This record gives sequence, structure tokens and C-alpha cells, in this order.
Amino acid sequence: MPPESTETSVVDSTATSFRIQKERTQFLGLTWDECIQWFFGGNALVAVIILGLITFFLFREGSSFFGQNRDNITIYRLAGLEYVDLGRQQEKDHAALSRYLADVRLRTHQYYTVQVGLPAKEASARLKEFDLYAERFARASASIREQLSELSELATDIKARHLENQNLAEKRRQLLAAGKKDEAAAVEILPIDFPVEVAVITSTLPAYAEASASFSKSLEELVAAPPALPDPELSARLGRFQELTRAFIASFPETLASMQSWDATVPVPLSQSFSAFIFGRQWLTASFWQDWYGAMPLIAGSMLVSLIALVLAVPLGVGAAIYVNQLASPVEQRVIKPAIEFISAIPSVVLGFFGIAVLGEFLRIASGWSFLSWVPGFPFAERLNALTAGCLLGLIAVPTIFTLAEDAINNVPRAFKEASYALGASRLQTIIRIIVPASLSGIVSAILLGLGRVIGETMVVLLCAGNRIAIPDFTAGLGVVTQPVHTMTGIIAQEMGEVEPGGIHYRALFVVGLLLFFIALILNYFAQKIVRKYKVSIG
Amino acid sequence: MTALPHSFAPRRGFQRRCESTIAWVFRAATYAILLSGVFVIGNICLKGLPAVTNSFRSLEQFPYVTNTFLFEAPESLYVFEQDGVKREMGDKEYRSYREAETARATAEGRPVPEFKAASYVYAAGGIWPCIVGTVLLVLGAMTIALLLGVSSAIFLSEYARDSVFVRFIRLAILNLAGVPSIVFGLFGFAMFVLFFDWNVSLMAGWFTLAFMVLPVVITASEEALKAVPKGFREGSLALGATKWQTIRKNVLPYALPGILTSSILGIARVAGETAPIMFTAAYVVRDKLPWEVSKFGDFFFQGVMALPYHIYVVSSKIPQNEYTQGVQYGTAFVFLGLVALIAGSSILLRNKLRGRYQW
Repeated sequence: MPPESTETSVVDSTATSFRIQKERTQFLGLTWDECIQWFFGGNALVAVIILGLITFFLFREGSSFFGQNRDNITIYRLAGLEYVDLGRQQEKDHAALSRYLADVRLRTHQYYTVQVGLPAKEASARLKEFDLYAERFARASASIREQLSELSELATDIKARHLENQNLAEKRRQLLAAGKKDEAAAVEILPIDFPVEVAVITSTLPAYAEASASFSKSLEELVAAPPALPDPELSARLGRFQELTRAFIASFPETLASMQSWDATVPVPLSQSFSAFIFGRQWLTASFWQDWYGAMPLIAGSMLVSLIALVLAVPLGVGAAIYVNQLASPVEQRVIKPAIEFISAIPSVVLGFFGIAVLGEFLRIASGWSFLSWVPGFPFAERLNALTAGCLLGLIAVPTIFTLAEDAINNVPRAFKEASYALGASRLQTIIRIIVPASLSGIVSAILLGLGRVIGETMVVLLCAGNRIAIPDFTAGLGVVTQPVHTMTGIIAQEMGEVEPGGIHYRALFVVGLLLFFIALILNYFAQKIVRKYKVSIG
Repeated sequence: MTALPHSFAPRRGFQRRCESTIAWVFRAATYAILLSGVFVIGNICLKGLPAVTNSFRSLEQFPYVTNTFLFEAPESLYVFEQDGVKREMGDKEYRSYREAETARATAEGRPVPEFKAASYVYAAGGIWPCIVGTVLLVLGAMTIALLLGVSSAIFLSEYARDSVFVRFIRLAILNLAGVPSIVFGLFGFAMFVLFFDWNVSLMAGWFTLAFMVLPVVITASEEALKAVPKGFREGSLALGATKWQTIRKNVLPYALPGILTSSILGIARVAGETAPIMFTAAYVVRDKLPWEVSKFGDFFFQGVMALPYHIYVVSSKIPQNEYTQGVQYGTAFVFLGLVALIAGSSILLRNKLRGRYQW
């Protein structure tokens, strides 16, 4: 066939150019196949890009928080709020002592009614002397209280004017940006001379010292003559009260000295803004006095809830993994594994709802049962607390821990187990001495990843943890688990919708998010590192 | 005491008792997990099922039957007493009833009756907009996640060699998997909602959810691709096919079922998450359905109602009582059912495929 022969001759004549090469189209200097490879490679980069973007945006939105917080603290100092707070701390301490006294009264009343068997009226009559004493004690602070409320008004006024000025400056800036020069010039800003204004506040120090002296004198009189109480245990409490009050009186000169040496012009370093966030014990927003963005209550809450969850989930998850992998029959294995995986598919918001509707109420009722009264913290009144959230988070962490731990146990070489049996070890000895130690690295990393899951969980803690922003009272011992808490994830979910973008509160939430992000990354890092470093391999 | 049958027979003794006790402890742990799971699901199903089954209504025209809980929008519930009868009505019904009663009273010359109703938001009507919103969110997010994830997995399994670059990518994927969902929500809010100015919209929700589920999809797809035997690729390459032809004709078709089934677990996760859509895509309440938009472009830039967010709203923002219980449990039940259906089908399919594809 002539046409064919001509074509082969063409190919033969140019031996270097195969047909397959001729058809290669070039696109930007790349062959079609290389283009495809680059396309897929680019897609693979998406994960890196996303991680970078998350970091970038969290930093972008969060980083200026520390500057803003510094301004926030600077104003607190410049306007004299810090000075007034030194005095107000005394007032607060005094109020706490009054509360202590009220607690003693309640106990005495109970003693009269329950142990002596008096009717309530009679008990109150016997407490008349005590009530008079408590009232005198409460009134002792009247002299400083008056002064402090005046000072508070002065300080808030300075702060309010400063904030007004800031708003006006912003308005002027906007008008200028819009090109309305005349209107911008018409915006009148009255500058505040902080040292002069604050001098008004600090000049009251001698008067305050006088009031403070009379306060301490009346306290001393009161401490010297406490009312008599019928029971040694109650008397001991009163003794403790005297001790506390004496310590309180002893702190007076110190407070006065710090008020004396207080200086509004001391600049606030950026490090203080940083430590006020990380170690701050108050998260107080939209307050008329002073906003605080301290992450400690949130971190403590997150830790407490996660700890409860892990205490529940680790024994259950690891135990179940050992059981399913080593002890269960094949039928059980086939059923249990998917069933536990199925639990992990229960959406967290449904679990949160379950906590509100069923578990919280159940735990509250159960805490009232008399045979459970030995449990620390029982009975409790709030149905939404760290324990409720912790139980549900435990259920969320169990499938993660179970799946990963089961994998780790499954990866232990068969020979280990067989050698152990051959040496005459029983099944349990093999599990505890051979299987678990060999897979320990995997189990630990499973627990770390479970912890990461729990710390990052939002809906359950938002719905069930009680949302009280305060550091849980760890002096209650184990009973701390029944206190309501707020968490890092919960605060973001709760407040993000209500804040104004760009404001300090908005940025504070982003810094909390950044903190969460890094906690997750660190946990992930350690989980991987532990697996790699301590992996037991054969040979 | 009877003699032992042979020297290897199990002996009764302290050690053996100990052993069986500890085995029972492990068994108890396993079944405790299962029981608590069953209890949660059972409780929600039992209390939520009536909300769905009690709201079937007959219709005049075609489908002849409808379910008011599934196919209607949420309304406020009004509870009031009228002539000694306690009545519960949805918003629309209550208004027309009030008008009718007032008209009747004035016609008969009676004084206009007073209506004192206690109202509970969202407690009447149904959850149709939430179901629609969730389905839309899942569809869009999974499309994006599958496109990105599968291509990424193809690169990692087919093209990549062990280099620093590839190890870096794997590290990023691993770390991305551990990022808390609320952080994705924050990121989506900062980037899509504020920086791109998409507002609270489907688009923002899609991308946020897609990014969140990406590691799951990549890992699952890579495993499915790796499961295709090397011989398939080598045979194809030996016959002169290019790399892409090999992947397209001889690798992807065999990996596809695996990719899809494992990705269904990703769908369950996308459908179940609330935190990422809280500030990116979800509205507390919206009157219009998503397709009721004036022009096509608006479709992508509208917020929607979503089931998980609706559960959050009805369980935290309205009180718990006999009137609100129906909608609370009902929504949780429908949502749980939806997620269970997705997750269950994935587990079933995987078990089935494991048997079929063995080479």
C-alpha cells in the first residue's frame, strides 16, 4: 500500500522524532502532563495555604489587641480609676468580712433551731446582740465609702469625657476623609489636662487617711469585743473572723502608702497589657467602670472541663480498646467498633441539647440523693455546670481515644503476644505487661488528640457549662467540678455575634481564638512526636 | 474435690478470679460507652418522634398528605384560654382566629373578647427552612471540599515523591485536622464575611466548612487511591499511556467508590458542626426560602437557617416546658436522623466495599 509506505518512510527518515513526541502540545513551556501535575500539586498546597491564612487572619485581627488593651489600661490609670480602685479594694475586703459574719449568723441560727430545738422567732431573738454587732461592723466603713463614691464619680467623669473626645476625633477624621473640611473644623474637642484633673482626686488623700484611721479604729474596737456564741465550733469561726479582720486592719498602712506613691503619669508597658490578658483574673466587658480582658477564668474553665472529660473518657476509651482488640469475640468486634464510631457522629449540638434537657436535670436530682452525699460538691443547685459539660465531652472524646488506641494496640506485632503466651503468661499478664506497654506511645498520643478534640469543642460547653465567667473556686477541693464555668470556645461563640468588628472586645476574642489555635497545634505536635519517638518496632 | 481432667485445664484460684474480674471491668467499660450512646440516641428519638408523627395533615390536592413539622416554617406558639377551653395555636392561625372572634362578637353585639396569650417563639410550625439550609450548606461545602481534596490526594499519592515539600504538606494537613471548629468559624468570619465582604452568606459558610473538612477528605481519598494495586498503573504505563491517562482511566475509577464512601463521613461532620456556621452562614430566623431571590447572584450571598444552629437557638434561647419540648426534641430528632442516615450509610457501604474490592 503506497500511502502507508510513504508515511513509514517519513518516520524512518527522521529517526529522532517519534510521533508521540510530535503530538506534545506546549503550554507556557510545560507539556500537558506537567501542567496536570502542577495543577494537582497546586491543589495539594491548599492545605498549607489554609493553615497560613488562618494564622494570618487570626494575627491580623488579634494582634492590635495588645496595643488597644494598653490604651485601655493607660486610661484606667490616667483618669485615676486605678487610684480609686485601691480604696475600693478595701471596701470590697470589708464587704467580704461582713459576708463572713452573715454566714456565721446563719450557722448560729441553724444551731439554735436544729440542735437546741428553738422556734425560729426565739432563735432570732437570741441573736439580737449578734445582729447589732454585725450592723455596727457593716457601718464601720461608712466614712470611706462616702469619699470613695465621690472619687468614683470624679474618675468616671474624666474617663467619660476622654471617650467622648475620642469619638469626636473619630468623627472629625471621618469628615475630613469625606472632604467636609468646614464641618470637621466645627467639631470641637475639649482637651483634658489629666494631671490637673487627677490632682483633684489625689488631693483628697489626707481626708481619706483620716477616714481610714477612724475606720480602722472602729474596727479595732469591734474586734476587741466580739459577741458570745453558744457553740465552740461557732466560736472558732468567730475567732477566725477576728484573725481575718486583724489582718485586714494591718493592711491599712500599706494601702495608704500605695495610694501615696501612686502616680498617674507612670507609663503602661506593653508587657503589662500582655500579662493583663494571660494572667488577668477578670473578664469583664461592657462595664460602666472599667473593662478587663483577662483570659485566666476562661483558661481555667476550659482546663477544668477537659480534665473532667478526660478522667471519664480515658479509662473507658482505653479499656474498651483493649477489650475489643484483645478479649472480645469476633461478633462483638464487628458490632462494637462501628457502634462506637457511630457515637462520634452524634453532632455536638445534639449532645449539648441532651445535657440541657436531660443530663443536667438528672445530675442535679442525683446530687440530692442522700446515699450520694459523700461525693464532693454534692448536692448542687445549678443544673448546668462543669460536671454536666464534662460528662458529655467525655462521650465526645471516647470515640477518638477508642479508635486511635485500638489502632495502636492493633499495630503491636503478633510475635510479642505469641512469645508472651509461649512463656506461659496468662492473657491478662500479656495484655498488661506486653501489649499495653508496647502500644503506650500510641495510647498517649490518642489521649492527647482526645484532649485536643475536647478543648476545641464548642457547642457542648456553650450550652451546658453554665457560662459563669469566674475562676472556679479550687479551695472547694474536688467539689470544684460542680461549679458553673465559662470556656475559651464558649466565650467566642457567645460574644462574637454581639461585638463591633475592630473594637477591643472583638480583638480580644480573636486573641482567645489564637490561643486555642496554638494549644491545638502544640497538642498535635506532641501527639505526633510521641508516636514517632517511642514507637516500638520489631527487630 | 474432683480431680482435674487434664493438666492444662483452667484451674480455679485467686489469680484466675482476678483475671476474669478485670476482663469484666474492660467489658463493662465497653458496654458503658455503648449504653450511654444508645441512651442519648434513644431518648431523643423517643421524645422527638411524636413531634414528627403527630403533625401529618391531609391535603386537598396532589400529595394529599403533608407534615407540618417537616415542611413548614417556624412560627410563634400562642397558648391561651377561651371560654374555659385551653387552646394552642400557631402565629397565623391565632391571628385569623382573633379576627374571626372579634368580628363575630361585634356582629352579635357582645363586647370584644380579651385575648391573653402566652407566646413561645419558634415553638409552632416546622423546620423546613432549616432542613433546606442544611442541605444547601452540605452540598456546596462538599463539592468544594471534594474538588480540592481529591486533586490534593491525587498529587500526594500519584505524583509526590518523598521530599521536604511533600512532608511539609502532610504536616499541614495533619495540623489542619486538629484545629478546633470554632477557630475555623473565627477565620471564616474574619476572611470571608468581613475581609471579602460577603456578609453572612452561603458562600462564606461553604468555604469555611469545606476548609474544615478538607483534611478528612484528603486522608480518605489518599487511602482509597493507595489501595489500588500498583500493577494497574504499571500495566497502563507499559502500554504507552501517559501518567494522566493512567490516573484517569486506571486508577480513579477503581478508587472512586472508596473516595466517596469515606468522604460521606466528612459530610456527617459538615452537617453536624455548628460553631463554624454560627457567624458565617446561619441566621436565627429568615422568612424567605433560599430560592426566593430576586436575581441569581443573590443566591450565593444570602444567609440561611440551618438545623444545628436552630437546635442551639431553641435549646438555649427559649424556656424548657411542655409547649417548647416538641420543637426542641423534634428538631434534634430530625437532625440526628439525618446525620445518622449519612454516617450509617457510609459505614455500611464501606463494609460492603471492603468485601468487593480485593485484589
